[in-house]
Amino acid sequence: MPTGSEPPGIEFAQVSKRFQIQEGRTLREFVPALFRGRGWSPPFYALRDVSFRVARGETLGIIGRNGSGKSTILKLIAGVMAPSEGEINVYGRVSPLIELGAGFHPDLTGRENVFLNASILGMSRKEVSARFDEIISFAELWDFVDTPVKRYSSGMYIRLGFSVAVHSDPEILLIDEVLAVGDAAFQEKCLARMNNFRRLGKTMVFVSHDMDQVRQVCDRVLLLHEGELLAEGKPDEVIRRYLALLQELGPDRPLRQRIR
Amino acid sequence: MNRTLPVARRHPIAATFGLRDFLPSFAVLWQRRELLWSMTGRNIRSQYKQSILGYAWIFVNPLMQMLVLTFVFSTILRIGSEVIPYPFPLFLFVALLPWMFFSNALSSATDSISGSASLVTKVYFPREILVAAAVFSKIVDLLFGLLILLGLMVFYNEYPSWTAVWVPAIFAIQLLFTIGLALPLAALNLFFHDVRYLVGVVLLVWFYITPVIYPVEMVPDRYKVLFDLNPLSLVLNAYRRVLLDGTSPGWDRMLLGIAGALLAFLFGYYLFKRMEAGFADRI
Repeated sequence: MPTGSEPPGIEFAQVSKRFQIQEGRTLREFVPALFRGRGWSPPFYALRDVSFRVARGETLGIIGRNGSGKSTILKLIAGVMAPSEGEINVYGRVSPLIELGAGFHPDLTGRENVFLNASILGMSRKEVSARFDEIISFAELWDFVDTPVKRYSSGMYIRLGFSVAVHSDPEILLIDEVLAVGDAAFQEKCLARMNNFRRLGKTMVFVSHDMDQVRQVCDRVLLLHEGELLAEGKPDEVIRRYLALLQELGPDRPLRQRIR
Repeated sequence: MNRTLPVARRHPIAATFGLRDFLPSFAVLWQRRELLWSMTGRNIRSQYKQSILGYAWIFVNPLMQMLVLTFVFSTILRIGSEVIPYPFPLFLFVALLPWMFFSNALSSATDSISGSASLVTKVYFPREILVAAAVFSKIVDLLFGLLILLGLMVFYNEYPSWTAVWVPAIFAIQLLFTIGLALPLAALNLFFHDVRYLVGVVLLVWFYITPVIYPVEMVPDRYKVLFDLNPLSLVLNAYRRVLLDGTSPGWDRMLLGIAGALLAFLFGYYLFKRMEAGFADRI
């Protein structure tokens, strides 16, 4: 739990993320628009004035509907995006779980992809070699090590991706809804592994639509709605709030209606 | 693993990149050099993996280009048989090979970041690694091309003199310049998809205004200045001089070339880093 005196894992202070929704992506559309005096359409806030802290060793869940800003937070923590306003501090080495296909090259084999993916996460060849057996065993992919990954099923992709990420020895692990893809047995294994990580005092940020999983692994939960932090606290309370919100709002509205 | 990581780190993507950020960012690049090698390896392995002939394609393309260009410009148009003191295929290939490297590297580097969109939006690593890996992976093609060149030299019984030792230095200049140009193009391609097509057109024009298929001596005097300002023209002529003429470029010209290429690289790197913060937003 955050006490204030300990060094935190992650700190967000009044963070906003603005996007310019860009209609045209070619000069033909952009240049005339510039002369007409409106190069860009009005900004869209993916996050608005969000502040929170994640203590070291804490597992934070982030819930919210599609487009509420969950993935944006992960991207900001991973350092892939810069905030438009506010300050972000991340203390320690971050490993995002690289989702389906991202680090993977379809024509390369599972073995080649493990090395590539791990080196993207900052591991050296030597370290990957040392842990290679462990990575493949955890992913249960011994029979497919030298098969091009384009022949893998989506579950196999995820198993390999998850396995590489957890074996890269991160201090902060980011997990973005990917667990929904694997089968039940593997999901169990991942959750067990995440609980193990928790005991080791690693910081985790977990984004999911599966409220059972969130209850199982998270110490604390943030509820995001339209880029704003709506609630923060114990998993049960925040999840109750979220379910109530879903009831009240009905099915997801399309994103476009939220452009301000 | 990176054990030396500071407890508190600045956000990896700083919105601004200034003069004093050059050295720290080169230090990070040095730390991540293994990633550069594995990305380069990925490009090389995946490039020809699907094809039946596999790596043999590396030979087919330059060989075909050489044969066709020789037939058109030497046999039909009879270019400069009185100005070129050596066989046309040899004369052509010494320049065609580095030109093909430049052209292929530049077009593949332009797409390197937009082509790795899912990676760029997921995990941070210095993005210039993608651009550099795209350029480096074309060195393999170049090395295979060198075998063809060697074959031509044996065939025509024309061997380079000791001045060939300058080739690595000239190549270093070419490489620096290529990466320096590729960096901002790869970044701009994310903002405007026109850039990739623009690069294609510019390369086409550039090929004809660079002395690849003709000797620079044939150029009328009033256009000469165009060729003195064209870095590729200077580089390709340097290859010809050291490999075919056996004349040394001299230290002063070499240092000037390296200084120029270094400046181009640093400027390109600077532009790239200034745009980097917006990459994930644009993909």
